[in-house]
Amino acid sequence: MINEITSLLKSKFPDSLLNVVSEDKRITLLVKKEELHQILSQLKDTGFNHLSDVTAVDYIDEQEFELIYHLWSHQEKIRAIVKVRIPRESPTVKSVVDLWTGAQMHEREDHELFGINFEGNPNLSPLFLEDWEEIPPFRKDFDTRKYVKEKYYLEEEGYPVAKG
Amino acid sequence: MKKLTPKVIKSKGEARAWSFWVINYFTACGFMELLPWVGSGYDMERFGILPVPSPRHADVFIIAGYVTKKAAKRIKMIYDQIPSPKYVLALGSCPMTGGMYWDSYATIKRIDEVIPVDLWIEGCPPKPENIGHGIVMATNVVKGGFEGH
Repeated sequence: MINEITSLLKSKFPDSLLNVVSEDKRITLLVKKEELHQILSQLKDTGFNHLSDVTAVDYIDEQEFELIYHLWSHQEKIRAIVKVRIPRESPTVKSVVDLWTGAQMHEREDHELFGINFEGNPNLSPLFLEDWEEIPPFRKDFDTRKYVKEKYYLEEEGYPVAKG
Repeated sequence: MKKLTPKVIKSKGEARAWSFWVINYFTACGFMELLPWVGSGYDMERFGILPVPSPRHADVFIIAGYVTKKAAKRIKMIYDQIPSPKYVLALGSCPMTGGMYWDSYATIKRIDEVIPVDLWIEGCPPKPENIGHGIVMATNVVKGGFEGH
């Protein structure tokens, strides 16, 4: 079954598949951003009707975000992992809410913690953070300890003392 | 209003100390350590301590575990609903200093920036014996006439 999926995708999207790793019960794809939505749509039609997670990784040295979609096929018991690299300056990608409704919360969380925009998501308002004015906290260039020391601690004593 | 005699004041404190009705705000490990008191092992009801479902019925507010910025606003709302006299107990390192999460962007470091605290019980998390000691100390202070906030 894995080989059938791989050959189908290779015939349909010859330019967009950058890397394919097939294992026993798992297939990992690195795809181009332009045809991401079509590939995910094709995978859904192939039987991957469950979206487990949408996560992101900040590769600050390469100035890129990597988005990772975890898909699961209930019929074939196969996991598909779709990775896509998007530029860090303009992190915008098409939403997959029209394919899996459950993607809405995952994308909202990614938007809040990494600042990635999902075009077509109906609600990207803040989920966990309240009164947040800094850059998104899961980005690698956000220094948590520096932020905490400036906001909560006094340095006058020679060592940090909590304010209040 | 007629002025209360010292004896009446003393019995008022006694009555309060034997009806410590508690509303809990627990986020993490603190509740696991208080649970032996809820069950028959340590049995907090022999001290008159009772968990209540609504802050409007409560006398004592126990906070344990880390407090996020978002939760601090809810804690303030719960505190405001408790009728006076009210007593606040903070359990564990997290509400005192941030504890393990001292360098987290999401938590506040000292709960007494939000609401006044009457008793701090230390530990990460505090042992059930420490919690019992703290609560009995608090009841003794209330018996002595402490009015809280």
